[in-house]
Amino acid sequence: MASPCIYNSKEVSCLVQHIMEQSVPVETVTILLLFPIIATLVVLLRQVIGMHAFGIYTPSIIAIAFIAIGQNNPSNIKHAVTVYLVVLIVGMLMRYALKKLRLLYLPRVAITITVVTLSVLAVLTFAGSLSRVGFAGADLFPILIIITLVEKFVSVQIEKGSRAAIILAAETLIIALVGYLLLSTSTAIGTKVTDFILRYPYAILMLIPFHVFLGKWTGLRAAEYIRFHEVLKKIR
Amino acid sequence: MFDFFKASSQVLGMNARNLTYIRPNNLSNTKKLADDKILSKKMLRQNGVPVPRLIAQISSVSTLENFDWTTLPESFVLKPNQGLGGAGILIVYGRKKGTNNAWVKSSGKVVTTQDIIEHVRNILDGAFSLSNAPDTAFFEERLRLASELRPYSYKGIPDIRIIIYNKVPVMAMLRLPTKESDGKANLQQGGIGVGIDMATGTTTTAVLGKSKLIDYIPGSRMLLRGIQIPHWEDMLHLAVKAQIASKLGFLGADIAIDRERGPVFLELNARPGLSIQVANMAGLKKRLERIEGLSIKSVEHGVRVGKNLFGGEIEKNLEKTSGKSVIGSVEEITLIGKNGKEIEVRAKIDTGAYSSSIDEELAVKLGYEKVLQQWNKIDTEEYKLTKENQKEIQKEILDKYSKSIDDLSDVATVFSSSGSTIRPVVKCSFVMDKKKISAQMNIVDRQHMKYSMIIGKKNLYKFLVDVSK
Repeated sequence: MASPCIYNSKEVSCLVQHIMEQSVPVETVTILLLFPIIATLVVLLRQVIGMHAFGIYTPSIIAIAFIAIGQNNPSNIKHAVTVYLVVLIVGMLMRYALKKLRLLYLPRVAITITVVTLSVLAVLTFAGSLSRVGFAGADLFPILIIITLVEKFVSVQIEKGSRAAIILAAETLIIALVGYLLLSTSTAIGTKVTDFILRYPYAILMLIPFHVFLGKWTGLRAAEYIRFHEVLKKIR
Repeated sequence: MFDFFKASSQVLGMNARNLTYIRPNNLSNTKKLADDKILSKKMLRQNGVPVPRLIAQISSVSTLENFDWTTLPESFVLKPNQGLGGAGILIVYGRKKGTNNAWVKSSGKVVTTQDIIEHVRNILDGAFSLSNAPDTAFFEERLRLASELRPYSYKGIPDIRIIIYNKVPVMAMLRLPTKESDGKANLQQGGIGVGIDMATGTTTTAVLGKSKLIDYIPGSRMLLRGIQIPHWEDMLHLAVKAQIASKLGFLGADIAIDRERGPVFLELNARPGLSIQVANMAGLKKRLERIEGLSIKSVEHGVRVGKNLFGGEIEKNLEKTSGKSVIGSVEEITLIGKNGKEIEVRAKIDTGAYSSSIDEELAVKLGYEKVLQQWNKIDTEEYKLTKENQKEIQKEILDKYSKSIDDLSDVATVFSSSGSTIRPVVKCSFVMDKKKISAQMNIVDRQHMKYSMIIGKKNLYKFLVDVSK
């Protein structure tokens, strides 16, 4: 039986207050409530704009990682992007370096992860030496999440080639950054959105009809207007 | 702008392809069949559709270790059973001379047994399959390039993709391998897609990779328009047959042409790509909507409907965009003679000849009697004609006789399999497909030929030739 909500604050809804009273940290509540919004953003960008990225999970989780990293210190976001790029560049170089060794898939990925992790560690140290607060303040898990991206990248690289993998990685980065801008408490829009969602958490449910709409939508994607522009010009 | 959006309702996009066409028409068990190349090969063969012969299959590491590599033939194709978009396919052209453990690839590179074992191991590990699921590798017969398509393909074998919906062939394209695509014909890998007119099987427009429009094969003068696809009718039948047998409602059929076997069915595709629309410069959605709900009774019926509905349209478009009219290999034309006298003849369109020629008798009718009489007095045999001295001889004769012979406008030298000849040339215009062409015709005895006139390349610049017409 949930304890009754004694007062309805202007800041957060009764429901969120109740959750927080059970000693769930406010950051956790916020991020969990933001997750469906990020997923919606990914779907919207895929179905309507035509940005592919690495599925729905990877861009969402990277966006969350960015939000978590930027939470304490907004300037950390540039370090997060640096880490992202380091992961991809090292991941790609490792593929060429390991090609001649002819290893099975998983051991090869393990070597890649090892080298990527060491590189990230080096970057963190370097970033830390530059500023007093440093990037060291950032949590472990968001960084780890970005590192695991390398497996996805390597497998796409094998399946569809380096060019496709780079494009997908760029799209993933863009989606994650859009997610960060719209939802992080360190940006103006993001603060408004998070305040809103903490005040009206049930609004999340309103996303479901929107998902249904997107799930039934058969129109051309924005990217397809570009891809087929010659055809469209011709047949109109 | 509004037109642009209206036109967009004719084009099939990813969303509509997945939701409207793939989901309801390609049920998951039939999709599984299409994704399993070995299984679909077997099923198609049982239904009377010719497929490449299966040589061997390897589905586990232990089979791989005990595999007898000497049993492989001179040339073969190694494929992952559940590969996507042509990835992981290894084409071997022949055994390296003097060895029994090394082969040569299409690129000329050598692959050793060790390389092949490695490749098979990667396939077994699922490196080329959807979500890295463990896979089976198989070897199949390598098809031999048909001579008709030889000039257009780089190393690998071209194939023809036909989209079939409701037993009707809807749209088709010829896919040509390029240097970039490493002998594979998939557009995703950088191949060329060439649109095909459904009624006649002649090519129309072309796209390189996913969206770059081209006229010629890059780095060459090979025109991609107007190629007649051999065995077109058979191919349409095979495609419809395969759709009925596979129960895939929305099918991309991939068919290749083997030098000896003719059309051979390569692959069923449950999620055909959308670039075929760019290759054809036409919208797939509009075509699919036109055959929605038609009741098609037989393979023949479906093929007929497809040819009637989706042929010719492109020809009109082609005439509009190129400003050239499409003609057949024989055309009714009107020759305009010396004093404006008009004579109608059937002329052979010969893109292998440079200039146009008319028969002596026809020349007489057109009013060039005197030219012929005077020309015949000259002993052309005294000139020893070779390819090197032809220019000089032409000039010599022209200088000598252009004053004495009225109407002699030039001298032609023609080399053919039946010997080389020196011919008189006169000015004579003709009207073909409502276009008047001022031409120069050489006169020759064509009595024993089927057509009294041929029109060569020089006078065809305002036309596109459709050899099937």
